[in-house]
Amino acid sequence: MKGRHTFAAGCVLVGLVLAVAVVSLVWLPYDPSDTTGGRLAPPGGEHLLGTDKLGRDLLTQLMVGARIALTVGAGSVLVGGVLGVAAGLLAGFATRWLDDALSAALDILIAFPTLLLAMLVVAVREASLGSAVVAIGLAMSGVVARLTRVLVKRVLAQDYITASRTSGTPWPRLVTEHVLPNIWPTLLVNLALQLGLAVLAEASLSYLGLGPPPPNASWGRLLQEAQATVLTAPLGAIAPGLLLVVLVVGVNLVADGLRDLADPTRRSSR
Amino acid sequence: MNSKLAGVVAALALVLVACGSGQEGPAGGGATPDAAAVIEIGSLYEPQNLDNTAGGGQGVTEAFNGNVYEGLFRLTDAGKVDNLLAKEYAVSDDGLTYTFELRDGVTFHSGKALTAADVKHSIERVTADDSQSARKSNLEVIESVEAPDDGTVVVKLAHRSVSLVYNLTYVWIVNAGAKDLATAEDGTGPYTLGAWKRGSTLSLDRFPGYWGTPPANGGVVFHYFTDATALNNALLTNAVDIVTSQQSPDALEQFTGNPDYKVSEGHSTTKLLLAFNDRRAPFDKPLVRKAVSSAIDDAKLLESIWAGHGSLIGSMVPPTDPWYEDLTKVNPYDVELAKRQLAQAGYAKGLRFTLDTPSYDPHPTAAAFIKSELAKVGITVDINVITADEWYSKVYKNHDFAATLQEHVNDRDVVWYGDPGFYWGYDDEQVSEWIKDAERARTPEEQTELLKKANRRIAENAASDWLYLYPQIVVAASNLSGYPVNGLNSQFYAYGIKKS
Repeated sequence: MKGRHTFAAGCVLVGLVLAVAVVSLVWLPYDPSDTTGGRLAPPGGEHLLGTDKLGRDLLTQLMVGARIALTVGAGSVLVGGVLGVAAGLLAGFATRWLDDALSAALDILIAFPTLLLAMLVVAVREASLGSAVVAIGLAMSGVVARLTRVLVKRVLAQDYITASRTSGTPWPRLVTEHVLPNIWPTLLVNLALQLGLAVLAEASLSYLGLGPPPPNASWGRLLQEAQATVLTAPLGAIAPGLLLVVLVVGVNLVADGLRDLADPTRRSSR
Repeated sequence: MNSKLAGVVAALALVLVACGSGQEGPAGGGATPDAAAVIEIGSLYEPQNLDNTAGGGQGVTEAFNGNVYEGLFRLTDAGKVDNLLAKEYAVSDDGLTYTFELRDGVTFHSGKALTAADVKHSIERVTADDSQSARKSNLEVIESVEAPDDGTVVVKLAHRSVSLVYNLTYVWIVNAGAKDLATAEDGTGPYTLGAWKRGSTLSLDRFPGYWGTPPANGGVVFHYFTDATALNNALLTNAVDIVTSQQSPDALEQFTGNPDYKVSEGHSTTKLLLAFNDRRAPFDKPLVRKAVSSAIDDAKLLESIWAGHGSLIGSMVPPTDPWYEDLTKVNPYDVELAKRQLAQAGYAKGLRFTLDTPSYDPHPTAAAFIKSELAKVGITVDINVITADEWYSKVYKNHDFAATLQEHVNDRDVVWYGDPGFYWGYDDEQVSEWIKDAERARTPEEQTELLKKANRRIAENAASDWLYLYPQIVVAASNLSGYPVNGLNSQFYAYGIKKS
């Protein structure tokens, strides 16, 4: 079955990055701030992937970067998911005018560029891992909320909901018993897609110097730092770029696979 | 955005960074200079506007100083001061009255002849209340400017100012009747402004009515880039003939050893500083500042960022200033010494501070290095990345910082240590007095002696940590000659450039 293969391939790619991140918690080849390696040392025995301008081990930086990418990815999906689903449920259940107001607010939030939003958050707080998570999560919540709202509306239009409502079921029970179970597969697929986008957004923020401050070795920052030395030490740019591709493609494959697995219409059509 | 698009974006990020090496260069060319050839200059510094008293920035100095506008005097590329629009000058015995005699036959680009009234107007523009000129405070000593006749200017001073003539090299002589100098010009230089296409190019055409030696070329065009890689690619593909200053050593490899290009390394006046807030604990204690200075391996930092280019200074004065002295041994790199000094200052258990770091290169890299160095002596550094605007308001204006990183580009700027109100707040009566007396000295020798003393003293007190002096690297096509190699204070005289 197509969905299953896609899902498995995605899991392998994401698992690879996840494994690197987990290993980085307990073991690193060098201290991330160890500058004894020599300027732009080539890949070799001592430094498997070489060193950067300050003589820091590239492999170490990449491993720490995996941790940051996944933390920001998962963190912002959590923030965006909770905010988005809550807002979406509210809009879905709300009376006409509140729904209109919320929808308009969401449209504005979605139209707002993620990077601009991030700059605002950074201006109010400061450039840090937390700010990146908040900014990306906030931007994501609009998309999640809009989707949730549509899904909720579709469920609420069903006859059995009307029946349940007439029989006096309170709305919290409606949510937990009927709405959430019906919408979560679609939401899950969407959140998985959002995770990939969040990883990219974090890399862009760090590239622009708005992400976690140095010496946090975010992949985006590694790309930025390697830009000037790309001709002399191309691996410094290629390695974090490749890892970004691996993680984002992996996450997207997982999402595609999930969709195929969760959607009965796709399951039967092969 | 769908999932496939997301993947493409990720791949693009990789490609964007990895691309950027073309190896074709220009084909050598003959040896006869072509006086009609237009010189294409690549730069990273586009002017904000065209007025150097209204925040035009480094870019307008680069494009206009000496090219479009001239001063009474000129600072040559070697750092010497020559007469320019002033034919000669005399100083009264008390040093308070300067009489300048203007050169004859000088006309502005608009056709009007230069008169003493224009000079008076130009000097007063710089000292005006709303002037944003960086040199304004240097000229505050001027009490009055008079124009007794068309060819004579008399400047009266409040006290002696040994640097007056030097400071006048930055005062552009403009037509007193000219309007809107932020978008147009009316100077006396060898070039007139052709067209300024914002965000792209600024062209200078030969001025046929120029009083002096006409330019060795047919005109120049400044091409502005926001990215050093794009700038170097333009040089590689022949789109520009010369790059005014290289900001990364790693791009040099494609030019050194290639007969189509010439690489020159001159003296810059740009210093990278770890500036402490000397008003506030813990950096109000000289011992703590000395400890930090000794804990950082400047040589290694310079090697990391500039790969063998640039030099160490040990204090604020670069070798091109007359009062330079090698002070790199005053606070040597010595981790054990640093630990002892910290303990002596009462910080045996270490300390923690926030380093306000401008977001553009090389500051974040330098900050990461400093963090790792200081960790070895028990100092924890929190890096706070800020924009240039934030730096200006938070650090420069409000003095709300513990320590910061910043490039200081001007020559002769050691005098800021005599001003306790400057952003780093170094308050040392002795130094302030020496610096004040130096400006009022009778002879340049006396001035040099006093500034040497001040310079040594700020080094001994580690008023700041002077990390290193930037190199000034110019890369040009090998058929080019006669270009400035030092670019002091970011000026770039284009009239001598020949193309063959």
